[in-house]
Amino acid sequence: MKALLALLLASALVAMAGAKEIKFLNVSYDPTRELYREYNVAFAKYWKAKTGDDVVVQMSHGGSGKQAQSVINGLEADVVTLALAYDIDAISEKANLLPADWQKHLPDHSAPYTSTIVFLVRQGNPKHIHDWDDLVKPDISVITPNPKTSGGARWAFLAAWAYALEKNDNNEAKARDFVARLYKNVPVLDTGARGSTITFVQHEIGDVLLAWENEAHLAIKEFGADQFEIVMPSLSILAEPPVAVVDKNAKRHGTLTAARAYLEHLYSDEGQEIAAKNFYRPRNEKIAAKYAGQFAQLRLVTVDGEFGGWQQAQQKFFGDGGIFDQIYQH
Amino acid sequence: MKLNQLILAIVAGAQFAFPLLAADGEATNSTGAAQNEIPASAAPSAANNSAEAAEIEALKKEVQALNQRIQNLEQQHELQQQAIANTNQEQIQELDQKVRILERQRELDKEDATAAAKTQPLVKLDANGFTLSSADTNFAISLHGLVQLDSRTFFADHNIANSGFLLRRARPIISGTVFHDFDFMFVPDFGGNTVQIQDAYLNYRFVPELQLQAGKFKSPVGLEQLQSDSVLPFNERSLVTDLVPNRDLGVELHGDLFGGVASYAAGIFNGAPDYNGTTVNSDSDNDKAFAGRIFFQPWKTSDMEVLRGLGFGVGGSYEADRNGTSGLTPGYTTDGQQKFFAYTNGVAANGTHWRISPQGYYYYGPFGILGEYVISDQQVSRTTAPLVSGDLQNTAWEVSAGWVLTGEDASYNGVTPRHPFNPRAGGWGAWQVVGRYEELKVDKSAFPTFASSTASASSAHAWSAGLNWYLNKNIRLNASFSHTMFSGYTGATPAVPAQAENVFFTRIQLTF
Repeated sequence: MKALLALLLASALVAMAGAKEIKFLNVSYDPTRELYREYNVAFAKYWKAKTGDDVVVQMSHGGSGKQAQSVINGLEADVVTLALAYDIDAISEKANLLPADWQKHLPDHSAPYTSTIVFLVRQGNPKHIHDWDDLVKPDISVITPNPKTSGGARWAFLAAWAYALEKNDNNEAKARDFVARLYKNVPVLDTGARGSTITFVQHEIGDVLLAWENEAHLAIKEFGADQFEIVMPSLSILAEPPVAVVDKNAKRHGTLTAARAYLEHLYSDEGQEIAAKNFYRPRNEKIAAKYAGQFAQLRLVTVDGEFGGWQQAQQKFFGDGGIFDQIYQH
Repeated sequence: MKLNQLILAIVAGAQFAFPLLAADGEATNSTGAAQNEIPASAAPSAANNSAEAAEIEALKKEVQALNQRIQNLEQQHELQQQAIANTNQEQIQELDQKVRILERQRELDKEDATAAAKTQPLVKLDANGFTLSSADTNFAISLHGLVQLDSRTFFADHNIANSGFLLRRARPIISGTVFHDFDFMFVPDFGGNTVQIQDAYLNYRFVPELQLQAGKFKSPVGLEQLQSDSVLPFNERSLVTDLVPNRDLGVELHGDLFGGVASYAAGIFNGAPDYNGTTVNSDSDNDKAFAGRIFFQPWKTSDMEVLRGLGFGVGGSYEADRNGTSGLTPGYTTDGQQKFFAYTNGVAANGTHWRISPQGYYYYGPFGILGEYVISDQQVSRTTAPLVSGDLQNTAWEVSAGWVLTGEDASYNGVTPRHPFNPRAGGWGAWQVVGRYEELKVDKSAFPTFASSTASASSAHAWSAGLNWYLNKNIRLNASFSHTMFSGYTGATPAVPAQAENVFFTRIQLTF
């Protein structure tokens, strides 16, 4: 009888002491699927070796603004890896799930990699698209997502605006007219960058896609250089997609330590290498030099330098009743 | 093409129009000798021939000009056709783009509609009741209900108890969630003869392992008492529940650990006497009770199916109760809800009151067994002469078991029929036989100072057997018989404990 009880007790203890598995949710923007698919595997190996714990990272992708709103509405993200800082600011301000100074918690304003906006055109560039001017011609069909929901679209909008301003001696009215003509050529507004890529690549709609640099490279990698080619405009914008731990959710889920390590590891050589392999421009100079050949040099404006930061830019261009609402008449 | 043919025909016609000439000429040329044989009279003919040759030459030139013109026309025609084709191609491409755009727009509209649907409130009505929730389920409200129509028929009891129908429970149950983590429950009961609020509480779920509940709810002590009213195997709980607190007002910390392998609850309450059918909504003294319970189901999440349904634990309470009669039980009742024990007038709670209840169950397939033991130790005093005090320790235990004849799994949370009652489709619901043995002993030292043997029995033990028919998840019929025997009663007849209680129960239950 005692032996039976001992057996039962031992069995109970074994049942209660299972292997530790940490699960957390990374809410990201649209085109990072491939990046984080590869990175999550690498981090899981790293974390297992370091702590012995298994990590399972679940992903959620969508337009950056839309994703931020989902987190505000209750999507229990442990970390967010979004397209622009304003969207994480919104999570902090509206849902109070992370501190307002979240950008100070990691190097480089919590943006472990950068990117920019380029043009993806069909092979041979049949419409002879070379710069932003070509996008406002009446017979050009431009594919870009909705800046109200997509981070990439907001970067693209600002790049176009910066070009138009420069070309028109900082005349805002002319810049506004330029961007209005550009968006008049947009027949479909997807909610996110990946949707726009599908519109352009798979549905064969439009003459040019305003694409994240990594997304443009990915399209070529997937569909072949005989289908598309990348056109570098004379000027674009430095996009800094930021990352942050959603502290309150992570604390509640007991994932805070792993979530922090997950984002910190993005700055490691391994994380930077994975970013570069997926056509994100790495911060690490050594890795950047190694992959310099795949990133064309072009003139980049910054959102802080050109637009006074994201708070101002968001309010002026993309807020309700902002310039985009005024010019987009579809 | 037709024009070309016409020209060729003209040329052919021209040759045909001068056949002799041509034939002669050719014949002459062919013979080679004819040129040397020009007759004298041939001079005018030669002139004629020269004119004809010139005419032929002119015609040939004309034909060539016409041919050139035809070629020009054909080229123009081809260019026009090419231009038309190009235009058509452009138009087709343009139309193709428009169609693609429309198709994509339609896809996006559908995606938008799907996304919008995700933000619409969700309405659900099924066997689990009516639920209205926000799309993200952060807010929800559910309407459930429990109605029990019973009959009790007493045999050979000298007409002490009334046989008849009764509305045992009639409870609208309103529960829900606000802001994702806050649950609430409100349960009034219109059954019996008194309308009461059974449950009214708010529960904050920080995590499943740590929750804080405040309001009126079941005190965490008795296993049978904590089982939901709608899934009890018998119409009435056993004698064990006479010794544990019913619903009480207070604040409780509770949670499930390791996916329910262990659960705990600990709280501070107003304090409730041993089982009291009618609960109150306020405190009648300054004393507070502490109650708690810990329960283990070590194999709940394991693959060892045979042990998965094993659960055991212990509940208990402690109260320094010095408030007299309000802390004292109004009496212990039988399965038939007849009082067989009560303290005499002038006895009051005066001191500590503690309970401990080891408890457990085991369910495996259609079989289930539940057992519980309770000690309720209470210090009492007489408020009338003789002014004496005592520490009374009353005990009770029970074992109930059941077997689902139709093979469904038995569980602490009831039985769900595999084939709901529907004779046309060959469904007859689930059938379960149940049996129970129970016993309650009052401390012997309670007599005669604090209780009278001429009014109360010192112990009761009972057995019961029953048959439960679960027509579907919502409707259930019960029938059971209970036989209770008493000892220690020395009073007159008729009285409840003067003879055994034999009662036949039936129940029609609707729950949703």
